[in-house]
Amino acid sequence: MITKKDRQKAAEFIRKYSNADDFNFSINGSEDLLTRFAQNGITQHISGNKLNVNLRVTFDSKNGEASGNNLDEDSLKYLIKTAEGMAKLNQPDPEFVGSEPAHDLPEVDNYAQSTADLPVEKIVDDILTCVKNAEGKDAKLSGISEKHVQDTFLVTKNGFEGFDRSTSFSHSMTLKKEGVETKVSRSVKDHAKFSMLTMIEQLNSQFDSLNNPVQLAKGRIPVILRPAAVLNWLFYLIWTFDRRTADEGHTPFTDQIGKKFFGDKFTFRSRLDDPDLEASKFLNGGVPAENIDWIVNGILKNMSADRYYAKQINLKALRPYNIIVEGGDTTESEMMKMVDRGVIINNFWYIRPTDRKTGEWTGLTRDGVLYFEDGKIQKSVTNFRWNEILHDATKRILALGPSVQQEYYAKVPTLLIDDFNFVDVTTF
Amino acid sequence: MDFLSLAMDTAKSLGADYADIRIQKSSTEMIYLRNLSLKNTSLNEIYGYGIRVFKDGAWGFAHNNVFTEDAVNGTVKKAFAIAKESGRIKYGKGLVLAHERGYIDSYKTPYCLDPFDVPLSEKVELMMEVNKTMLNFAEIKLAVFMLECRKDEKLFASTLGSRLDIHTVYIDSTFTATAVANGDSQSRTFSHGGQARGWEWVQSLNLSDKAVQVAEEAILKVHADSLGAEERKTLLLDPNHMALTMHESVGHPTELDRVLGWEADFAGISFATPEKLGNYQYGAQIVNFVANNTLEGGLSTAGYDDDGVPNQKWYIIKDGILNEYGNTRATAPLIGLEMSRGCNRATNYFDFPINRIPNLYLQPGKEPLTPQELIADTEDGVYIEGRGSFSIDQHRVNFQFGGDMFWEIKNGKKVRPLKKVLYKSNNPEFWNSVDAICDDRFFKTFGVTNCGKGQPGQRGRMTHGGALARFRNIRVGGSQ
Repeated sequence: MITKKDRQKAAEFIRKYSNADDFNFSINGSEDLLTRFAQNGITQHISGNKLNVNLRVTFDSKNGEASGNNLDEDSLKYLIKTAEGMAKLNQPDPEFVGSEPAHDLPEVDNYAQSTADLPVEKIVDDILTCVKNAEGKDAKLSGISEKHVQDTFLVTKNGFEGFDRSTSFSHSMTLKKEGVETKVSRSVKDHAKFSMLTMIEQLNSQFDSLNNPVQLAKGRIPVILRPAAVLNWLFYLIWTFDRRTADEGHTPFTDQIGKKFFGDKFTFRSRLDDPDLEASKFLNGGVPAENIDWIVNGILKNMSADRYYAKQINLKALRPYNIIVEGGDTTESEMMKMVDRGVIINNFWYIRPTDRKTGEWTGLTRDGVLYFEDGKIQKSVTNFRWNEILHDATKRILALGPSVQQEYYAKVPTLLIDDFNFVDVTTF
Repeated sequence: MDFLSLAMDTAKSLGADYADIRIQKSSTEMIYLRNLSLKNTSLNEIYGYGIRVFKDGAWGFAHNNVFTEDAVNGTVKKAFAIAKESGRIKYGKGLVLAHERGYIDSYKTPYCLDPFDVPLSEKVELMMEVNKTMLNFAEIKLAVFMLECRKDEKLFASTLGSRLDIHTVYIDSTFTATAVANGDSQSRTFSHGGQARGWEWVQSLNLSDKAVQVAEEAILKVHADSLGAEERKTLLLDPNHMALTMHESVGHPTELDRVLGWEADFAGISFATPEKLGNYQYGAQIVNFVANNTLEGGLSTAGYDDDGVPNQKWYIIKDGILNEYGNTRATAPLIGLEMSRGCNRATNYFDFPINRIPNLYLQPGKEPLTPQELIADTEDGVYIEGRGSFSIDQHRVNFQFGGDMFWEIKNGKKVRPLKKVLYKSNNPEFWNSVDAICDDRFFKTFGVTNCGKGQPGQRGRMTHGGALARFRNIRVGGSQ
């Protein structure tokens, strides 16, 4: 990884040799180890460090930006020459906003030594344990283990300086035997808090609950969405969660700030102080991150904005830097008794917009679907396609489980949602 | 210092069964314009090398951007050590690489004007003109233009003795107008999805004229009706639209790594399993899908793949029957093949090459047939242009597609625009429903530059193509 001395030296070089009216200079580096396996054998194994050095300069609101992957003086000179050359040939940007000044940044701890020290031998040992479990079931295992250490460094002409070092470890695996396939995945910032045995137990539990699926008719039916499905779904909601496009009339959120646009039971926040979750110290070119409520009890409180638009409407330029959906205390067994019948969804797949203005999305189920009736699981069923207006679906939340960590940046609950709109069925 | 030879000599001295090195410089210029505001004007250049070592049937891969003797040797040793670790959990009894020989050769994308030699001011001026043209229409509230130019300069060497010098270029020029009216927002896009050509290609596109058409059609669309409940209908699909449908429903299911289950945890697997080769009716008899990595202007055309295998042309589907896959040196032997078709590609120097879709197109019809004749011959249907919503299951069977522009066809004529049209189908129903394809005078190619696959994710590129084709009895309807 790049040392503090090297970062400061590079920043000083830019300050000294750039003639631009304004600049943002960033260095993002990572140390990565990725072990990918399929059909009970390793198929891909990668190790290396990556570096991205980026300079964005401005002359009279004319911008130019160049990036490379070296920090030596010749490379920095080339970046300055390239970025400044582009800016001089460019046209003025009517939405230009000057770079951020110095800020006090929040204290956030995104680094865990246990993750940084994780050796390749330990990762392979753990994968071997997973593969032996699969072989014991006469099944095939595919997945990936990843370890990352990442640096983020930003300085601006106007005095901002920020640095963060973070770690993450993630593991996902799909177990497949004939018509049964299911997957578990999890990531943490601190490998010491990760248990492979717990993941194997979860995988086995899902796998053992499934058998060769039978087809169920399409139509509206209650669903129990497990956390992986909820998070997958929420990603796409956040994708369109932009204040400017809402105000310009392109999304369903137009004129909905401050209104109860979501269901009462739906609350979504980003928090700096959750000990398990990674959080950014700064966002959007140096804006200090802060705790923010996006949706509270169904009321749309805030939306993402870039620095230009935030300035126009006198808001802070923030975005969801981590995801915390408030949970409840209903267990999955209790949920199954709250409705006559329904399906349990492990995950979703290939979610895409079908109508950006109404907020309708399509997607499929994946990793195993279970049909329940009379409070009990009855059988495995084949996958469905759904077309749903996601914010409307939150109005049909009947119950929530406890919010649990799904990824190093997200805690979400299991949700029981009424009348989910399945429009087609698959053959598997 | 000859780093290529150094790396290969070190790999051999360590006892590698096979090794290769890819020194790659990738340059990407991006310009993004939103309502006359230049949100991004950037040039990104990354330069480094990736080294693959194959030992006892398992891979190790390490990358670096430091070009010294010590760094290169250290990277080879790291890749070798990782290959040994991989060997602790072998794939079956260990992977075997398909037979190949060494080549000493070079390839360069044919072009006249290097897009990186065209002044930025000229590109921005063109984009501004297009943006202004679209914003001149009162109901167009959002106009965006994204221009991407990419150049890859690669030196490849392998322990088979290969020395390859490969230089590829592509340009992707895409703009969108969004109309807002009556509480709705609808977009129309102009895009060829990227072509491996020089700036002269952009100059030939008459973008200002296209800007007027795009804006007018966005406005038509926002005022258009939607379709009602789903019913079985005839579809006419233009080649730009079909580029996406064939990518998702033919390209991905016939990648051999997916067929073998290598993508089971993420991108998914395939219904098109090996026992179906030579007997599975994937499409109607007039449906022929050609893989062609020698296609001029094709985004996968590079002379050789990242296994050092020469580019080739072959049938994926012949006379409607599943004929062959796209494969690599590591996947081909697993179904008994001796040679690879050369589909192993990496995006950047730090990426491990993976089994990619080749340039893949639907062969035009053999009988003379114009688009006008095909429309005139269609009593009741929907004509779809461009790409919209797309979603397909992880076995590549069930799918739902939208589009960018829709026209209702009644009694052989386009009678009115439509919006929010979706159709649902599956394999093998969809390609078996084709009953007419226009002839080769109307064949067009369109690129895909954002094919997401792999872990870690890589952004692949390839070209697709076809001529206007008719599909019968497909489930078509409006969104909710």
